[in-house]
Amino acid sequence: MGAPRKLAAALLRSVLRLAPAESRDWALAMLRELDFIEGEWAALFWALGSATAILRQAVCSWRTWISRKKASGEERMNSTGKKAIGFASSALLALVVALSMFGLLRIVALLFPGLGIEHLEWTHFLGAIVVPEIIFVVSAILLWRKRTPIAAGILLIGIGIAIHVAVHFAMR
Amino acid sequence: MKLRLSPQTLLVLDAFLEQVEDWKYGYDLSRITGLRSGTLYPILMRMAERNLLETQWEPGEPGKPPRHMYRFTPDGLRYARANAPANSSGGIGQVALGLVQA
Repeated sequence: MGAPRKLAAALLRSVLRLAPAESRDWALAMLRELDFIEGEWAALFWALGSATAILRQAVCSWRTWISRKKASGEERMNSTGKKAIGFASSALLALVVALSMFGLLRIVALLFPGLGIEHLEWTHFLGAIVVPEIIFVVSAILLWRKRTPIAAGILLIGIGIAIHVAVHFAMR
Repeated sequence: MKLRLSPQTLLVLDAFLEQVEDWKYGYDLSRITGLRSGTLYPILMRMAERNLLETQWEPGEPGKPPRHMYRFTPDGLRYARANAPANSSGGIGQVALGLVQA
């Protein structure tokens, strides 16, 4: 047995050891065929081609496995992670809207002191409480069916502000 | 479609269509079709995966390692005949590869 054939046999035996379970029969089949190949170099080329075929098969299997993992990960994300992210981000957005309305009133009061907004309690009540609450309730109703977690996040902030106002008036 | 019918796949189907009942070895198929192992085996694997090809280990004589053999399943035979031009059991692949004039 010449060196190229020895190398070919060694290569195919390594391939057989490393091949994934589903390709092992094929790798063994390629190794067995080696005994029937005439020519030392032909045997080596046979082994090289066979190793490539097994490698390609393994890469395909890994890709399938990775895409399945990815798909199942996305599914999980759909069921829990996505809902949690939707809930948290909508709650945060609602809070930003409420604070922005409050901040806007403060800026108007500072820019136009003549209007006396600072001393008019109803403007605070209307601008910082009523308008955001209307926005929250309307958007929660519109989103409830298709985007329940987002609607729930908005509603949570709406309820939080309402409780805050109720406590504020009760303390006075 | 069960299998992508590349010119190389047609060559393999063509090789199996000759004496469909006979089991064939990998190296013989390689010689008949002129395909290298790196091209031939992925085709055989896909065919076996799609249940077009049945595989078997040759019952070995003592001291002789068994060989892997292949032949069409009934599904594979139907598929090959459906995709081969009429009166062709030889030459589909060569025509597809441009080795023989159609």
